[in-house]
Amino acid sequence: METLREILDPQFILRNSVYVSLLIGFACPLVGVYLVVRRLIFMGVALPQISSAGIAFAFSLPALGLMGHEHAAHFEGDQQLLAFAGALSFTLVAILFLAFLERRGRGLVEGRIGTAYVLAGAWSILLLAKNPIGERGLLELLRGEIIAVSNVDLWLTLGAFAGVVTTLLVFQKEFLLVSFDHDMAVTLKKNILFWDCLLFLLIGVTISMAVLSVGPLVAFGFLLIPPLIAHQFARNMTQFALLASVIGGLSALTGFALAYYWDYPVGPTDVALLGVVYFFSFIGKKFFRPSMPAGAA
Amino acid sequence: MTASGKFITVENLSIGYDRRPVLSGISLSIERGNFIGLLGTNGSGKSTLIKTLLGIIPPVAGKILFRSEDGRPPVFGYVPQRETLDPVFLLSSFEVVVMGTCGRVGPGRRVNREERDWAEHCLAETGAADLGRKRFSQLSGGQRQRVLIARALATRPDFLLLDEPTAGIDAAAVQGIMELLQRLHEKRLTLLMVNHDLATVRKAVKEVIWLHQGKVLHGPVTELLSRQKIEELMELELH
Repeated sequence: METLREILDPQFILRNSVYVSLLIGFACPLVGVYLVVRRLIFMGVALPQISSAGIAFAFSLPALGLMGHEHAAHFEGDQQLLAFAGALSFTLVAILFLAFLERRGRGLVEGRIGTAYVLAGAWSILLLAKNPIGERGLLELLRGEIIAVSNVDLWLTLGAFAGVVTTLLVFQKEFLLVSFDHDMAVTLKKNILFWDCLLFLLIGVTISMAVLSVGPLVAFGFLLIPPLIAHQFARNMTQFALLASVIGGLSALTGFALAYYWDYPVGPTDVALLGVVYFFSFIGKKFFRPSMPAGAA
Repeated sequence: MTASGKFITVENLSIGYDRRPVLSGISLSIERGNFIGLLGTNGSGKSTLIKTLLGIIPPVAGKILFRSEDGRPPVFGYVPQRETLDPVFLLSSFEVVVMGTCGRVGPGRRVNREERDWAEHCLAETGAADLGRKRFSQLSGGQRQRVLIARALATRPDFLLLDEPTAGIDAAAVQGIMELLQRLHEKRLTLLMVNHDLATVRKAVKEVIWLHQGKVLHGPVTELLSRQKIEELMELELH
């Protein structure tokens, strides 16, 4: 409790890290709900990794000689922006390409996503193999350390997530319709391509921001585990989204407190905590609600 | 029937996927207020034809012309095969029916009280008023079918297309569904129903479209489903 009070103190030195953790904890599950209901969980694994490859690409630009000397000199200052651009562009291209192939319904979806995942991992390493500074940055990202968060980073994250969450809320009806019954949406003259692309853009922005702040492991953890926990207990889609978001936010706060108390890296602690919550929620549901009669929900 | 009664005219239509035709040379017309059965073996192109009429799949070639009474684009009510809807969605039956009203509700706007009342009315119309609060994925096959028909009615359709609405449900539920469709037909709604059961089709519909060995046969039920015609088409002798 003392630790919790300490990390919530406005004078706390790592307060920006706490706020970013909370933002990711609340926002990622809202997007993750759509990955779960659209059966894109494997994509939820691959996309953060692909996003990391985008960041690795951005980090490797000076070493690859793709930036002029003038730009390379200012690289440190532009690093965050470049990394975000790399993460977002790689994520969006991948999500649109994989979704397009999935819609065509040919070949093995899992095979394609698995290949994308492993290639993204390999390229992330290769791109930075000759660039020690970039390699160190990426390794920190992979470890899920949430320590150095500037005010600018915090406001950027807040702005991006506020935009994502607002858009998800305003157009919930449209996203739900095209996700639940694509054919029905066509017969209602809805612009499926537009709504799918908008949803994928929101997923892409969220994953890019999350990966940039906390790394692919934690991003994946918050995208999927809170929705999977919430799905067991929610009675409707609104409850599902809200419960997932609350579980994500509370786990982020508790995880930060535990990591700070035990001096562990924050990201892996968050994910481990989510795993524990998932396990006990599963057991709890089996014990306390063994079965529901048909139509009882 | 007069030419002005024609609701849909299909001219030399080819249907299929990725520009590869499954069925070609389809030319037919559907009169307003008709009840038509669409028959054919598995893979003959029944669902592909329905999806092409609905605009879900683009035609490979040919034209589909719609003529609504007031010149506006026709509104379709579509009842898909119920297995296509994923049970992972935590939706009540009422929420599923409300989706049918979304064609009249602008992006980002909430479904108003009037539309919600209409959705309730459609549930009642299909005998599913008591299912509104139950989770859609937990309903029986027959109950789910009623809810999907209610959703299609919620669109206020000119044309109701049903893809195997009686497949995999028990005899009592089949009878209930067919009585419901008959009532809708009596209200002058145009219906097109895919069905494998010849006896059910014979009792309910006025006309039949039969996709048989790459050909499209279209005619009155009394003619196409006569004993002699079935024997001829199926190359068997009925006893």
